[in-house]
Amino acid sequence: MKSKHLSIIAKKEFRGLLSERTILLAVLLQLFIALFSSFLMVGLTSMYDPSSLSKYSHYRYSVAYAGNDSGVLTYLRSSPDFRVYTMDLSTAVTALGQRKLAAVIYVPDTGPAGSDPVKITLYTLENDLQSAIVDVKLKDIFLKYEGDLRQIRAARLDVTPVPLQVPSSGGGGFYEFVYGLLIPLLVFMPAIIASALVIDLITEEYQHETLETLVSTPISFAEMVWGKVLACEILVPIQAGAWLILLSLNHIAIQNLAMILLQVTVTSLILILLGALVALHYRERTAAQFVYSTGLVVVILFALAIPSNPLNLLARLAVGTAGPEQWLVLGVTAIIVVLLGYLTHWYAERVSEHRHTG
Amino acid sequence: MGALTDIMTIAKWEVKKSFTMMSRDVLPIAIALFILLVIVTGYTAQTGLHLQDGMYRVGVDDPQIASLISGDARFTVYQLDAPTLEANRNAFDVIVVRGNATGLGTDKANSALQTLSRDYGKYVNSVYNTETDLFAAYPLWIDTEGVKSELSFLATQSGQYVSAAPGRVAPVPSGPVVQIPTPSPTLPISEDDLRAQLVQSNAQNSQISRYTSALTTTTTMGNFKTPAELSPPLPFDSIILVFVFIFPLYFTSQFFMMSIMNERIERKGEILLSTPVKASSVILGKMLPYFIGMLAICAGLTLYLKAPPEIMLPLIPVIFFFLANALLIGMLSRSFKELSFISIFFSTVATSYLFFPSIFANVHVISLISPLTLIVLSIQGTAWTATDYLYSTSLFWLTGAVLFFIAARNFKEERLFSEKPLMTRAREFLSEILPESHPFLALSLVSGFSIPFVFMVQMMCLVLFFNLPLPYSLIFLLLFAALIEEFAKGVGIYTLFSRDPGFFTWKNLVLASAATAIGFLVAEKLLLFVTLAQISDSVFGSILFLSLGSLWLPLLLHFAGVLIVACSLKLGGKKWFVPGLLIAMTVHCIYNLYILGWL
Repeated sequence: MKSKHLSIIAKKEFRGLLSERTILLAVLLQLFIALFSSFLMVGLTSMYDPSSLSKYSHYRYSVAYAGNDSGVLTYLRSSPDFRVYTMDLSTAVTALGQRKLAAVIYVPDTGPAGSDPVKITLYTLENDLQSAIVDVKLKDIFLKYEGDLRQIRAARLDVTPVPLQVPSSGGGGFYEFVYGLLIPLLVFMPAIIASALVIDLITEEYQHETLETLVSTPISFAEMVWGKVLACEILVPIQAGAWLILLSLNHIAIQNLAMILLQVTVTSLILILLGALVALHYRERTAAQFVYSTGLVVVILFALAIPSNPLNLLARLAVGTAGPEQWLVLGVTAIIVVLLGYLTHWYAERVSEHRHTG
Repeated sequence: MGALTDIMTIAKWEVKKSFTMMSRDVLPIAIALFILLVIVTGYTAQTGLHLQDGMYRVGVDDPQIASLISGDARFTVYQLDAPTLEANRNAFDVIVVRGNATGLGTDKANSALQTLSRDYGKYVNSVYNTETDLFAAYPLWIDTEGVKSELSFLATQSGQYVSAAPGRVAPVPSGPVVQIPTPSPTLPISEDDLRAQLVQSNAQNSQISRYTSALTTTTTMGNFKTPAELSPPLPFDSIILVFVFIFPLYFTSQFFMMSIMNERIERKGEILLSTPVKASSVILGKMLPYFIGMLAICAGLTLYLKAPPEIMLPLIPVIFFFLANALLIGMLSRSFKELSFISIFFSTVATSYLFFPSIFANVHVISLISPLTLIVLSIQGTAWTATDYLYSTSLFWLTGAVLFFIAARNFKEERLFSEKPLMTRAREFLSEILPESHPFLALSLVSGFSIPFVFMVQMMCLVLFFNLPLPYSLIFLLLFAALIEEFAKGVGIYTLFSRDPGFFTWKNLVLASAATAIGFLVAEKLLLFVTLAQISDSVFGSILFLSLGSLWLPLLLHFAGVLIVACSLKLGGKKWFVPGLLIAMTVHCIYNLYILGWL
């Protein structure tokens, strides 16, 4: 195999990509998703962690309190989030229906030390973003009151949990989403695109019947396959790097940049070689892409089920907690790449022999 | 009748062709992969996803707490004595010394503390669940009652707070007070049932079950919750819905795209074109099997999920839209690479458009711009009306139909087998529907038919900018809405100009601009009155659809916008298209600000 031949093929593919300018669409897609990140922050973060919603509202809500006096009323009065009115229940609920209140709380006269639980009735508006936020804020107050009641009834407990005081950190839900999900997926996306691309490049030669011309040159069939793999492989660190830069521009600090790129580059070779094998076998895009993408889902799901998988390693590298096991993961990945590489080479040579004899 | 038989014949060909191609050795592998997929999904569900393992380092001095924390794979736990921990403070995100957790103060440490406190809460619950006296461990229960708002959604639409500003005296409801029965002070459910519920809800893996349990609602307990269980009622099932319903559709439309592409490779489709069958029949015939297939997939999924059958109704326009786009993408792209890139791009954008609004299904009327929201509503058991259906699907029907028309007009030899760059081809496709005999009428129609697309893109912007703080969301919306409209109006002129620059004498230029402006305005009005009245009442709507008021001013505005673009084309040539657009956008924005009274 001559490196000169490889680079000829790789260059040819790059020229094709550049002249079609469709690679621009991939760039546009990156920008599009980057643009959506403002949406991701609010929409998806709240989905991932609903309690983060409460951070987005700074407003004093009117709530009505009905029924007997209790610790809840005291907490509500001292809370900066609420303005409380003691009201008659029916009047309050009617006012709530007219959106003059955000919530109505009814507390019965169950004794704090009694054997029955205290059952508070909470009236909120249906289908309303505001009541979602009010729920989150009221939850804090109810939790405090629950703590008080537990204290009063503590003598009746058989077992008490191991005490642990965790200070409220005031945030952080976004962190886990960005570093634990967004970064691994975004950085890995170029690998998936590249492996789909290699299928296109190989099946195109078959379906456009340009293979004969290529094989008549001194470039061997295996060299042609490797050239295409190379072209796709080079795209991966470039695209992944672009992602990392975009994320940094969004003030998301990422550690171990070089190691992340190395890891993605090596792992993507697995996918690209798998794609090449499938394409060599089927020689037809519809079938190859179908089998490959189904297979890809299986492979990724399986990988995620294994501890210390490459995607997990990406997350750990980004937050800076990857230990020496990162080299082990890299090593195992590299071994798989070498095995797949041999398989692809052998298969490509077999295919070309068939062409010569048959 | 002749056309119908043609369509059926072509459809039969298509099915036969794809089966002979697929069955070679794809089918056995596909079955094997599917079985593997089921096995792997089961395995993954059992072991959990190991994506966030070992993100945080925690140092603990107490073995009991150490074993408690190490139950969560996100933590790497180091058990050391207190002095060692204090000395190596910076090596850990969080240290726990004598029952007190302290963080390092970084974002990561804060996040670790939050996760830790959630884990601890779960552990505490698991201890309390087993208490003999359940009401000593859980002394407080909340009964949540939803109250239907008497006011419409209009108030919340503008993104403003609905309740009146809090005053010194309690608010007084207008009209008669509806008597509410005093809630009973006791729980109507036995202690054992409550305990069972607590155990069950604590056992759920909160990350995954929150999504998967959405479709199989099993709340036996009614509305009774402990304070810790109070959470905002956002419809998390929309994630699942997107993956379950949209992905198979996307997958199948890929096959259609490929089938169209295959006709074009090495001119294989030439035979088809040489038959006396009309282009529209060929297209419909080729599409029919995929359409039926997608319907069948959706029906199967609906049956499998035991979802209400009416969720098929909003899916049909989505299928139609996907197929129309697949057809055009298959006709436009020159190579497989291009096909891949364009289809990935399209599917991401389309999925965002479908998916993101539906997150707000319970919250905001904006969510209705996505047909998926109707599905979410159906599954929840909330009724929707025919108006809602029209509102959320009309854009899909209209854009799909326009794309089909363009494709049918261009389904002929010189378009299918040309090798020109993508942009040139797109322009040629447009040029095909601009007949030379009636250029002004055609311009009117093209700009009129661009309206559904303009609305779609503007809707997308609305969703996108809706989450920014209020002044910024309006500013961005203002700029983008203007740019999109000017672009849509300019495209027809640009296409004509590239075909025949000589056509644009000054007189023709004015006439062409007027024709475009009229077409745009008429279509805009029509579509607005049919569908979008709900949105156009809000602050956002007033920016998007300013023209609802008088007729002359918007007509003049549209005319001025097109004229600016046309003049810059005539004076500066094709490279002045973009600068012309920008100038037109500025004029458009200034007009909008003036009408809104902000200037």
